[in-house]
Amino acid sequence: MSSAATHNHNEQSMRRAWAQDSCEFALACDGDGRITWADECARTRTGASEGMSLFDLGADGMKERLQSLFRRAKEAQTQEIEVPITCDARIETWAFRGKPDGNGGVLLLGREPPKEYRGALRQVEQSMTEIVELNRQILRQSREIERQKNDLEKTVRELEESDRGVRTLHSELEDSAEVARRATSMKSRVIANVSHEFRTPLHTIMGLSRILLEGTDGTLSDEQRKQIRFMRASAEELLTLVDDMLDISKAEAGKAILRPERFTVSEFMSGLRGMLRPLVTTPENVELRFEEPQEPIALETDRGKLSQILRNLVSNALKFTETGSVTVYAANEHGDLVIRVIDTGIGIPNDQFEHIFEEFGQIESPLQAKTKGTGLGLALSRRLAEMLGGTLEVASTVGAGSTFTLRIPRVHPEVSEYQRLQTREIDPARAPLLVVEDDRKTIFIYEKYLAMAGFQVVPARSIEDAERIMAKTRPAAVVLDVMLDGETSWNFLARLKKDPQTHDIPVLVVTVTAKEERARALGADEFWIKPVDQARLLRKLGSLNTNGTRGKVLVIDDDERARYLMRKHLEGGSYQLFEAASGPEGVVMAQTHRPHVILLDFLLREMNAFDVLDELKGDARTRNIPVIIITSHALEPEERQRLEADTEVILSKQSLSREIAINRIRDALRKAGVGVAPPQASRP
Amino acid sequence: MSHADLQPHEKRRRLSPSTAGFAELKDFYVNVQLRGDRREALHFVDRLVKEGHSVPDIQQHVIAAAQREIGRMWEDSRIGIAQEHMATAISQLALAQLYRYAQPLPARGRKVVMACVEGELHDFPARLVADALDLAGYETRFLGADVPTGSLINVLEQESPNLLALSITMPFHAAALRRQVKSVRDHTDGRLPIAVGGLACDQLKEITAEIRPEILATSAQEMVEAANRLFGLSA
Repeated sequence: MSSAATHNHNEQSMRRAWAQDSCEFALACDGDGRITWADECARTRTGASEGMSLFDLGADGMKERLQSLFRRAKEAQTQEIEVPITCDARIETWAFRGKPDGNGGVLLLGREPPKEYRGALRQVEQSMTEIVELNRQILRQSREIERQKNDLEKTVRELEESDRGVRTLHSELEDSAEVARRATSMKSRVIANVSHEFRTPLHTIMGLSRILLEGTDGTLSDEQRKQIRFMRASAEELLTLVDDMLDISKAEAGKAILRPERFTVSEFMSGLRGMLRPLVTTPENVELRFEEPQEPIALETDRGKLSQILRNLVSNALKFTETGSVTVYAANEHGDLVIRVIDTGIGIPNDQFEHIFEEFGQIESPLQAKTKGTGLGLALSRRLAEMLGGTLEVASTVGAGSTFTLRIPRVHPEVSEYQRLQTREIDPARAPLLVVEDDRKTIFIYEKYLAMAGFQVVPARSIEDAERIMAKTRPAAVVLDVMLDGETSWNFLARLKKDPQTHDIPVLVVTVTAKEERARALGADEFWIKPVDQARLLRKLGSLNTNGTRGKVLVIDDDERARYLMRKHLEGGSYQLFEAASGPEGVVMAQTHRPHVILLDFLLREMNAFDVLDELKGDARTRNIPVIIITSHALEPEERQRLEADTEVILSKQSLSREIAINRIRDALRKAGVGVAPPQASRP
Repeated sequence: MSHADLQPHEKRRRLSPSTAGFAELKDFYVNVQLRGDRREALHFVDRLVKEGHSVPDIQQHVIAAAQREIGRMWEDSRIGIAQEHMATAISQLALAQLYRYAQPLPARGRKVVMACVEGELHDFPARLVADALDLAGYETRFLGADVPTGSLINVLEQESPNLLALSITMPFHAAALRRQVKSVRDHTDGRLPIAVGGLACDQLKEITAEIRPEILATSAQEMVEAANRLFGLSA
């Protein structure tokens, strides 16, 4: 009691003290919603006062909600209804319950959710907002990554496509190259085959016309003889043409053989003059002039090829010059031989300068249409110029004329290179190797490969040269081409082996592995090139057939005309002729008739000559029958290779350039006791 | 879960998303929300997507509709704030799930800052609009509930958006809206277009007539269409 009095507490003062912190307030309203009573908390926190409208407590737009609460509370006690109200000058949501006061008014109880809960809820909601936003960001990032990945994949696809494109292009290029290669190889095959196909009928014509002219089957009238002679001349002309075509194909394939010789420009020009004059068909309109230098110019190059070039250039110039002149001018310029063919003809447009040097690269012009040519002339000339180590260029003005300039070294590079090899000092660090060989290219090949193996090639192009070199140098070994000087070579070899000074020097014998030799190695006894000369045939047969009996001759050839020709050749002689139209038939006939000699065509359709030879040599009945191979065919490299059955000491020249052959030379040298050791070591 | 609107368990089971109308789907979803079944809610959204409903359709006709229904239920005092919070949380989850399925249009090169007016605690409608804008190809910055004017101005300076969208759901935030719009206009010399949206707009005709925002929208769909028109972009 005293404490209550001391502290002067009562309900009102306590409520006032906690009003600000209270979470509950009570209100009473009359039937119109006017506040009739408000407790301390209501008054303090919401500003409620007696006489004001209950509905004014609600936040903006929340009056209706309080009205609805009030209406329901007049009927009966309500459940809690949440209403945002203005509280402490802020908007807070309170939960209200109401009930009738029994006098038409309403009693209200407001409850505020605990502040901590509201705060925590707010935090939770904010966290959720943030998490949800983070989720969006992550998804957006992964979408961006996905997009970039797609972009990358697209780029990769595009790259792959362009890669494929490039590869396709490459393969197309390869295809084109392959087509070109095939075309080239077909061309050479065509030329080789055409030469065969042309030659065979030509031989028939020539052979038969000769028989006709000889009057074996009855005499001809003079007129008929004249006709036959014309026929024969035409056939010979055609044969020359076929041979020229072969030359061109050889030059194109780089197979042409270089034959350098010493001559002077004036010698050459005078020869040229005589040769070219007849080409001038209208001397009244076109003059062919030759201008040569005062001083003599000495040359050492392939005269034939040089003259071939100039023949082409001059005949070309004459073709395109209707009036004016064609001048052949030669001079020594900076050590090179320069020959210009200057015409006053129609000229060549600039853009055609290179085109005309292409094969069949003729330009269109009315004059062109009148003149005939193969279109190979300039292409061949340029190739020949290159073979001579030089160039062929053109300068021209349309309407004024053209100048073709040939520039070549006065001494062919192969010749000067050979001279260098020939005249150089013996290197004491290397083993000298005497190479007796007339083909410079072969010597270069020896030099190229053997120099690396510690040898120095000392070349000799004749036995005479070799003898001279042997007199002052003792080589570690000798490589000898026994075919070089015929018997002289064999004698040289014999002398070398007899001489006690030199008998211990290893000598490697090399032979020209022409098809003839290889064919011999395979068992053929002769190797003839068509057309077969009747006299030679008869001589040969006479030498084979010595026992006086009637000689039996077997001809194996699938060309009926060739067999006929052979028959005519042997007609009236003491020969019994057997004819076989195929290889197998020939083999059977050889076995049954045992001929004294067999004439075998190199190119048989069903069975090739080698197989026929194999069969003949493999059978005791036919082994010893001499076989003469007859061919009109230019050999393919593969065929040549088949002919080359290398043995240890017989090397094939044709395969020298191949590394394998070089290895064999080395092996052979090693076997012969010539190593790569310093030269002193190999000397006795 | 004593609520009268809750449907019996069996009926929920029989609902087929492929044949049911959106109203039915929405009712089903509201029930799931009020049961507080997060798992079922996500499963339901998954099924809707798999049955071939488009993401915007589900957002608008199921989830946004359900949220409006929840709001009405609160107004009618059929549910309390606690249930409303729970339902909204579930919808946030559902929206996140939907966002994952959505195929956004290619970027349009326009940036939108989305914020709730100062004091406005209901950020769910703003979330819906932000997602819709985002999927329509707009680069969207979502600031969430109750963004004070100072923070808003800072963000606008940093982001330099092409559009500011303000969300207001309760009419008593009208004064805050008026203040915030004025501040932004003052700050940007009126150059930044402002969009105002939310449930309260219908009740705030006076104030919107006064502040005249560049865009006034009451749904996400309306907002996207109005933004496209404003920037002259095709849908």
